[in-house]
Amino acid sequence: MSEALVASPAPAADSSASGASGARQFWRRLRAQRAALVAAAVVALLVLVALAAPLLTAIEGQDPTTYHPSLVDSARGGVPVGPLGGIGADHWLGVEPQTGRDLFARLVYGARVSLGVAIAATLVQVLIAVVVGVSAALGNRWVDQVLSRTTEIIVALPLMIMSLALLAIVPGSFPRPVLVALVIGLIAWGTLAKIVRAQTLTLKQLDYVAAARLSGWSTWRIARRDLLPGLAAPLITYSALLVPMNIGVEAALSFLGVGVKPPTPSWGQMLTAADVWYQAAPQYLLLPAGALFVTVLALTVLGDGVRTALDPRAASRLRVGTGRRGEARADAGTTAGTDLPRPGTPADGTKEATA
Amino acid sequence: MRQPSVTARRVAAASVSLIVAAGAAACGPKDNDAKSPGGDSQPHKGGTLTVLNSNPQSDFDPARLYTSGGGNVPSLVFRTLTTRNRENGAAGAQVVPDLATDTGRPSKNATVWTYTLKEGLKFEDGTPITSADIKYGIERSFAAELSGGAPYLRDWLIGGADYQGPYKDKKGLASIETPDARTIVFHLNKPEGEFPYLATQTQFTPVPKAKDTGTKYEEHPVSSGPYKVVKNENDGERLTLERNTHWSASTDAERKAYPDRIDVRSGLDSSVINQRLSSSQGADAAAVTTDTNLGPAELAKVTGDKELASRVGTGHFGYTNYIAFNPKVKPFDNPKVRQAIAYAVDRTSVINAAGGSSLAEPATTYLPNQKSFGYTPYDHFPAGASGNAAKAKAVLAEAGYKNGLSVTLTHSNSKDFETSPEIATAIQDALKKAGITVKLQGLEENDYSDKIHGAKTEPGFFLAHWGADWPSGGPFLAPIFDGRQIVEDGANFNTGFLDDKSVNAEIDAINKLTDLGKAAERWGALDKKIGEQALTVPLFHPVYKRLYGKGVKNIVISDWTGVLDISQVAVK
Amino acid sequence: MSGFGGFVLRRTLGTVITLFAISVIVYVVFYATPGNVAQITCGPRCSPAQVHQVAEQLRLGDPLYVRYGHFLQGLLTGQDYSTGTSVQHCPAPCLGLSYQTDQQVMRLILTKLPVSLSLVFGAMAVWLVLGVGTGVLSAWRRGRLSERVLTGLTLAGQATPVFVIGLILMIVVCGQLELLPFPQYVNLSDDPEQWAWNLVLPWLSLALVEAAAFARLTRSSMLETLAEDHIRTFRAYGVGERSVIGRHAVRGALAPIIALNANTFGSAVGGAVLTETLFGLPGIGQELVHAVNVVDLPVVVGMVLVIGFFVVIANAVADVLYAVADRRVVLA
Repeated sequence: MSEALVASPAPAADSSASGASGARQFWRRLRAQRAALVAAAVVALLVLVALAAPLLTAIEGQDPTTYHPSLVDSARGGVPVGPLGGIGADHWLGVEPQTGRDLFARLVYGARVSLGVAIAATLVQVLIAVVVGVSAALGNRWVDQVLSRTTEIIVALPLMIMSLALLAIVPGSFPRPVLVALVIGLIAWGTLAKIVRAQTLTLKQLDYVAAARLSGWSTWRIARRDLLPGLAAPLITYSALLVPMNIGVEAALSFLGVGVKPPTPSWGQMLTAADVWYQAAPQYLLLPAGALFVTVLALTVLGDGVRTALDPRAASRLRVGTGRRGEARADAGTTAGTDLPRPGTPADGTKEATA
Repeated sequence: MRQPSVTARRVAAASVSLIVAAGAAACGPKDNDAKSPGGDSQPHKGGTLTVLNSNPQSDFDPARLYTSGGGNVPSLVFRTLTTRNRENGAAGAQVVPDLATDTGRPSKNATVWTYTLKEGLKFEDGTPITSADIKYGIERSFAAELSGGAPYLRDWLIGGADYQGPYKDKKGLASIETPDARTIVFHLNKPEGEFPYLATQTQFTPVPKAKDTGTKYEEHPVSSGPYKVVKNENDGERLTLERNTHWSASTDAERKAYPDRIDVRSGLDSSVINQRLSSSQGADAAAVTTDTNLGPAELAKVTGDKELASRVGTGHFGYTNYIAFNPKVKPFDNPKVRQAIAYAVDRTSVINAAGGSSLAEPATTYLPNQKSFGYTPYDHFPAGASGNAAKAKAVLAEAGYKNGLSVTLTHSNSKDFETSPEIATAIQDALKKAGITVKLQGLEENDYSDKIHGAKTEPGFFLAHWGADWPSGGPFLAPIFDGRQIVEDGANFNTGFLDDKSVNAEIDAINKLTDLGKAAERWGALDKKIGEQALTVPLFHPVYKRLYGKGVKNIVISDWTGVLDISQVAVK
Repeated sequence: MSGFGGFVLRRTLGTVITLFAISVIVYVVFYATPGNVAQITCGPRCSPAQVHQVAEQLRLGDPLYVRYGHFLQGLLTGQDYSTGTSVQHCPAPCLGLSYQTDQQVMRLILTKLPVSLSLVFGAMAVWLVLGVGTGVLSAWRRGRLSERVLTGLTLAGQATPVFVIGLILMIVVCGQLELLPFPQYVNLSDDPEQWAWNLVLPWLSLALVEAAAFARLTRSSMLETLAEDHIRTFRAYGVGERSVIGRHAVRGALAPIIALNANTFGSAVGGAVLTETLFGLPGIGQELVHAVNVVDLPVVVGMVLVIGFFVVIANAVADVLYAVADRRVVLA
């Protein structure tokens, strides 16, 4: 959408204040939000669990790949023996149907893959989007035309289908999680690039950027010194939402049979294998679904919190009489950007998966 | 069939590899528990049978279909010279006459086969079926536009290898003679005692030349069977079949054709099909599926429910899942290495990965464990139920790998529970105990199938499966172990590159036999002999379990198809 | 910037360029996809000679640019093809024939499109009601329990893959409670009532996945508007809270919602792969995944073009609506 939209010139906003005082302010504002703090703690815990997966499973005394045929009832399709899917001292969260592999181990190792793939894909997306978006906004008419058109094309390509094709082309010897992250990152950056471009165009109009241009700073220097700090707020917010979305994309790719490969566990893969077991072994489905839900919730709340902390306009809503019309307007041009929880388009084709 | 789609996941062992496109429905096996609970269990005419499938009948041209015994839904519309016996169990693995008066009269050396058509046979428009229509039907299957069928006609008929079908070559195929309207004679380039089995395939369906519309014929193929196509939407996704009034039960001893109408709905997710059959609400009470098996999760639920369990049909189709070796690739050139792997395999965990002991039976023979195949039990490298790691290590040491071995196992990424990652992982886990480190190489379905069937690209160690084109050892052993069937520049199925003079000679000798019972015994013995070379490690034979609706009666499941025969069921 | 006419012209040109680029990309990518197309089309047991014949018939031996040229030619002038017994004409714009089924791709798309549109239009109604409703309510009752519960629910919808939501809905609603029949697609023209009943669950599943995005967008846009001067002025003058929320704040949130909606709609037309697969809806997405699996290039290219078309058009429509809803925006 934003391609056709030139946000009307916006008056200066104090949002991009950078430097030490800005950082302090940010932390102060973030700390003021209890929900965001809890969410941050949860995210930190998830990352910690993922990093400590080998340690945790060593404490449990299990690993994610060993089969335990004796723990499943072969005649009944391999449903776990014992109550609650075989939960016990040996297997804290029970075992997987059919194979008897330890679910706790698979869940924590799955966190590594799911979070790793999602975060890596997000980094790729952000990197491409910033380069394309900023270049389009700052470049001359032709550069803008070409880059915007490219973005348009990327947005219009169905993610699922292109992923299916690309994942099939690359030889099987290429490390799969890296590949999945790359493919998601390389295909689904369109919407973010549009947002970056629109935001950059808005920033470009601001007094201090204009002043920098007039005083003959190079484009690169302006981009680095003046624009990137101003882009931080939407980027961070958006990234927090991209991560869970990318977890969902990985799950969808697994559903279609081209995600991360067994025996490497991922949440998406577990969900895919587990959904048919919903009646016979509910915990098998509930565990990865629960993990995914907690992750998405935490990242979303954290993303909101970060945005509020970075963006004084949000804070201004809480005060009476300080909001200026102009600010709201500046935001209108990029609202779709800064606030889209699930950017419409990277989800193209995966929409459902993600969410 | 066409490549299985990724979306047809969870269709556990449903995709009977080469064969199932024609889908056969499965169900309640050896009756007893199949008798409908309460009420009149006698089948009556009438009603509408609903078929819930995952794969559309997108091939509905008799030339293009690849079926075992004529398929299930196709067999309602297409009659063939011979057909499978529609009876439960082993009796159903016999070949019986259909359009012909007998299963064929061979010449002395089984190179000439003569058939006579029954009298009073008619197409759906009332025109009589002649031997020329059958000849034309077979000839069409040679056209590149209508490719897809089994290779036997091309390989066996004199001139078959070069014939390009009636659209390009108006003269026709001279090796099929039709001396009169009711007689058809086939001239083969070598003795083939199993020709009657081949004549069950849909290519032996009469096609009236005047009604042939080429690639569009499948939209409305002309019926010779008890039902005709009245609606075919979205390329076979929704089919409606109604009675063909010109079909006469007096000429057809095999098809019961109880329902008045058959409604085929496909494109459904397999878990949804099973859920609908188990709920059995409304029209679903009179529903069956011809392509969707119960998966392990569903089985876990069904076994806990008496009512549901009484509506499960169990069947066995001739099918083997196995590990294949390419002896041209090191270290699999060393028979000891192949044997060590055979000793180390844990069939219990493989079977669990394939769906558990109710959905798979351990296999130690390459031939399926059925009499018609000539099943001869052997276990050359006994691994017990869960692998013999000690023996495997010892054999490995003999082969010079005292400190273990590192190998790559190639499998497909499809979710078929046959060559899929689940099975590969189970093998990886078992071989670890024997000191063999297995690296997994998962390939996308198309890539996998290309690679394992390419003489130059074939990996050394991979998962494979083979299904029966008909219930006999011939189509099971010959394509895989006949040295003259090695294909260097196309799809090659002799993956072990076995070219053993004595094996080749025995295959030729058995093909001369027209006594199918005797032939079966010899196939069994040959299988046992080839097994010694450890070119394959048989893993399991699948068992098909399928649900059917509450109102479905007269369940017949033969060992030929392993699934409920749709031509026998009644819904009244 | 010569007004609306210029905008339409520019957009049309842009659409053509985009679609052209998409077709090239898809052609190249799928050309590189592994899988012996001729062997797949011919059948697994075809001999090398037969495979060769099929390859010739499908023109697989031609270099990439020749094949692409042939495709473009068909698009512009139509194409004749043989069924073996007769010659048929595929009128322009001809997207070619399916390798697998020999059907005209354009016809295939025209039979699948109504299904996808049925799914997406219905789901759109649900996600708008559910998402915007939740958003309004949560902006209005910010910080209260009802807001948190609602927000949690929409997030749960967003966090759970559609194949899980859909399957559970189906098992519970159709299997256990027997409230609805198991969905199977009925043509709108055949029986509108059955069409709707059978689509209730697919609509709901797809919408649940999308609703959270709308809820959050609505909420934040409304809060943004509520903080503006004129709203505060209304409040100061004693305008009722309901009126403030209903008449003014919601209106302020309209523009971004329209933008997101167009975007979501466009991509869902071909992107509802999982919903279509699960519920057995014979739509574009399901067919496309199948075509990818069998490397059916003409079908893939045709369908991706149609999807791209919808995305581009939806975005253009969004821009227009956006401009209408928010006059501060200039169409470029």
